Amino acid sequence: MVEPLYPDAVAPERREFFVSDGVRLRVDEWGDPAAPPLVLLHGAFDHGRGFDLLAPHLAQRYRVLALTSRGHGDSDWVDFYAWPSDVTDAVNLLRSLGRPAHLVGHSRGGGQAMDVAAWAPECVRRLVNIDGFGPPPEGFGPPGAKPDTRPTPARFADYLDRRRNAVGRSWRPYPSLDDLVERRRMQNPRLARDWLRYFLFHGARETEAGWVWKTDPEFAHGFGPWRPEWIAPGWTRLRVPLLAVTGSEPDTWRLPDAIVEERLSFVADVERAAVAEAGHFVHMERPRETADLLLGFLEP
Amino acid sequence: MTTIRHGRVSLELHELRTAPGPTLLCLHALGGSAADFRDAAALWRGRVFALDFAGHGRSDPLRGGAYHPEMLAGDADAALAQIGAARLIGRGVGAYTALLLAGGRPDLVPAALLLPGAGLEGGGAAPDLVNDTRERWSDLAPPLPGCDPAVRRLERDLRPPDYAASFALAARRLLLAEDGASRPPWWEAVQQSPSAARAPAELSSALAFLAE
Repeated sequence: MVEPLYPDAVAPERREFFVSDGVRLRVDEWGDPAAPPLVLLHGAFDHGRGFDLLAPHLAQRYRVLALTSRGHGDSDWVDFYAWPSDVTDAVNLLRSLGRPAHLVGHSRGGGQAMDVAAWAPECVRRLVNIDGFGPPPEGFGPPGAKPDTRPTPARFADYLDRRRNAVGRSWRPYPSLDDLVERRRMQNPRLARDWLRYFLFHGARETEAGWVWKTDPEFAHGFGPWRPEWIAPGWTRLRVPLLAVTGSEPDTWRLPDAIVEERLSFVADVERAAVAEAGHFVHMERPRETADLLLGFLEP
Repeated sequence: MTTIRHGRVSLELHELRTAPGPTLLCLHALGGSAADFRDAAALWRGRVFALDFAGHGRSDPLRGGAYHPEMLAGDADAALAQIGAARLIGRGVGAYTALLLAGGRPDLVPAALLLPGAGLEGGGAAPDLVNDTRERWSDLAPPLPGCDPAVRRLERDLRPPDYAASFALAARRLLLAEDGASRPPWWEAVQQSPSAARAPAELSSALAFLAE
């Protein structure tokens, strides 16, 4: 199938791999290689090409690098997934640049960007988090689903059952790319079909059986003692200026504003911005407005 | 020796003793291997298996290096899938793993003996808000001999006492070996559980408790 087109989407000028902890990760680049660097981190189940609308604007001033996290897009799959691995990968990439960079993350990538900046402040000039302020206190679940209130060991038994069946698990193939688009629109109805056709073309592959996601089916099935109430107090450690961006509209994966503000009260140096007519995928829905906001906040 | 699978990882499960009687599965400490349980095998009346966790002994390293105890519990559960119900003995991080498994698989684990050893403490009871990220995730200490360098991440994961206690509450019988040395907060919390009892630190006496 020929690559779909989408107005204003600009494919990366350079496509490289970066090796972190032995894992090969896709890095997509736009802009002058000698310009000051800016690193982009995508959200769960997405990939670096989701920045094809935002990155060209930022590339007028910066060398823009979009890192695709392990288990996603064209990056390697690993045997097990854990949050600190992705944070480590981002720190390794930043250290490889040889000079501090601006750091921008969306959703899960936004939350990880906060941890990267707290761990390696010497690598980060300024930080932008686009709607990555953690799950609600009851945790993320499918829209409308009741939170699982069973005791921890009962949920752990489910995890163990899943691990027993983790040998060679694969995604169900979809007959066409358009079927993937409709599947994704069930979760993100705000995203335009034409955009999703462009974006998901790079996040899936065509096989003899049909279209399958590139994301590792084992991603996001870990288990551990992590708690939402640990998130915000941890941000008291942040020593870089933060721009906290959300969309103005209610959306799936969008935290209620009251929780966002309560969590941001732990950050010493924070600017708050809301982009009009955008939901959770602010940079995909309003790329021009998002870019203007970022270029205003980030130092040249 | 049998090769078993946990997800995409191949693990070595060693049968240290074949004899009639209850089955024992041994889970080694951080940096250890199945070979650490030859003494225990000689003292047990029944079949004895010992697992090399991922990144240890003759088992595969974990591609990507995301080692944590819940992952090790998946390794041990793959062994239970192979051998059926078994009493557990765990040292260090293997003791914490045995706790998770005893709580998650009470139908397969009638009892577990927890012994001190490397990796018992983990990264503490809760996040340290001042230096947590840097201290917990920064570059790893020198590799342990014969192990994947990344297994030292098992010194960094958080082990909240109430989380550990919830597994103790679901477990059938836990024996905690006491030798007078101090224990991490998760162990102290487990010790309070109705399913928990103190065991002598001396191995043959402790195994006699476990066989009951």
